[in-house]
Amino acid sequence: MIGRTPRWIVPIVGLIAMIWIVPIIGLLVTSIRPISEIILGWWSIQEFTLTLDAWILVWDKYPLAYAFWISCKIAIISTIIPMLLAPAAAYAFHFLKFRFRRLILILIINAFVLPNQVVIIPLFRLWRDLGMIDNIWSVIIPFAGLSFAWAVFLVKNYLEDFPYELIEAAQVDACGPLARFFYIVLPNSLTPIAAVGILQFMWTWNGLLLPVVFLRDELPLPALLARIQGVYDRNWDQVAVAAIITTIVPLMVFIIFQRFFTAGAQTKSGSKE
Amino acid sequence: MACTKMSLAEIENSGGPSGPPKQELPVRVRKQLTDTQAAWFLLTPLLLFFVISVVYPVIETIRLSFFDIRGLAPERFDGWGNYVKLFSDPNFLSSLKVTFIWAISATFFSVSIGWGLAMMCSLNPRKTLIFRVMIFAAYGVSEAVSGFMWLGIYRPDYGLLNGILEGVGLSGWTQPWLGNPSTALGAVVIAYVWTQVGLPLMTCFASIQSIPKNLFEAAYIDGAKSGSVMRYIIAPLSLPGVRVAIFINLLNSLKAFDLIFILTGGGPVRSTETVGFFMYRESMLNFKLGYGAASTVILLIAVLVVSIPLIIKRTGDAK
Repeated sequence: MIGRTPRWIVPIVGLIAMIWIVPIIGLLVTSIRPISEIILGWWSIQEFTLTLDAWILVWDKYPLAYAFWISCKIAIISTIIPMLLAPAAAYAFHFLKFRFRRLILILIINAFVLPNQVVIIPLFRLWRDLGMIDNIWSVIIPFAGLSFAWAVFLVKNYLEDFPYELIEAAQVDACGPLARFFYIVLPNSLTPIAAVGILQFMWTWNGLLLPVVFLRDELPLPALLARIQGVYDRNWDQVAVAAIITTIVPLMVFIIFQRFFTAGAQTKSGSKE
Repeated sequence: MACTKMSLAEIENSGGPSGPPKQELPVRVRKQLTDTQAAWFLLTPLLLFFVISVVYPVIETIRLSFFDIRGLAPERFDGWGNYVKLFSDPNFLSSLKVTFIWAISATFFSVSIGWGLAMMCSLNPRKTLIFRVMIFAAYGVSEAVSGFMWLGIYRPDYGLLNGILEGVGLSGWTQPWLGNPSTALGAVVIAYVWTQVGLPLMTCFASIQSIPKNLFEAAYIDGAKSGSVMRYIIAPLSLPGVRVAIFINLLNSLKAFDLIFILTGGGPVRSTETVGFFMYRESMLNFKLGYGAASTVILLIAVLVVSIPLIIKRTGDAK
């Protein structure tokens, strides 16, 4: 596209990319070789046997299927909430006039910078008093609450270019403010809603801090992985399988939808090219 | 969403204050919601989540930071006590130093590597697509999983790094990378940079893609080499993307927790303990909630200072 490319570009970038995926390859190889060979290093080639033992044994050894189910529940519920509520809020902020509009908007979109650590202690005390420790909602509520900062911003940014004539036409045809949202704005802003969903799904699936603090037995995959790594044993092949299962879902989502991320990352940060 | 299935009339009647039916009118006049009513109807659920998980905890963290709370014992007002203790606690001071080194070096390396790669890729976007996805994929890997991958590289007995060093005859350099206080922080930063480079790569790449193409044509017609195109066109004009990347990476690295938790747990001898992790240790493992809260307030102040330009920009955008 940009014209005369020097020849060294593609091999150099290729080489860097190859080095970049060495840890991922290491993980895959570790999961399909017997433990006696991994001990010599997963790259060693004196003997090379492939085995699926770890893939079969791991399900009995660790509650992997259950953790997978918990992960699905947490990630899906905490993704759906902002996908429903963020567009509604963005519409209200962008097209409706009401008191405190600007104040609330500024509060919400600037919460983007808050570290998760800031909300941990009060929520821990709150959940403890309510008896909600080890309840998946103790994780879902902050996951959803913390997502609005960028989710609302992302959708609202998209609405800046929304043709106002459509809204006016609907208004003339006697559409109330809610009908204008459900019939005009919502069906036409599926792109940013999808971006919100994909990003939020990845972050909630991968999140470790909140589950580690708020959950005890109902552990999602990353927290389970952290726990079984802490127990010192040499089942490296099985932990590798657990790690692959932990990361396969978000990685697939990520690779399939990677085009959305560029847009997402840009809008999220407030740069408007 | 059941609402989309409703007719117009049902929606307008469902939420609105419906007055007495005016039978005498020949045409039924539907009462519409005012903007204010509709706005609060749409916003209330979100605000509930927001207040519970952001507004209340932030205020409460600041309040708790002035109290002495140990486990379940009743809280005792302590004034600035926690803060005084924090700044005379060598562990906290060391965690401040670690956070500073961590944030600066992680951001510097992720953004410069990502930017460099983005500039190279932009010279041949089509052929490098697959490589961009490969590097970007690391950003999609859960930090817990990346931690496990890098354990396999750093392990003292059969880790890849020591294996390579022995292979090229540098056995003297092999060491327990994560167990040695002087190398642990560097090792964790490298692993963290590995996960993060994808983001600056993508923002910078997008920024380069939006440079008007006729600039390149003009440059090539004037006989510019690709080196000078990079130096005088791509580099300066992709700065908006670079700035975005610096902000996001700096903010993310200040909050970092997951990778440290998996790789070193803050050790050895707290050499990889950031403020974010210090808070976890003090409040969740040592049950000193007030003390932990005070350390988070410091973290919050650091984050706010870093993000002032971002906050001003976003506040200005909030029309």
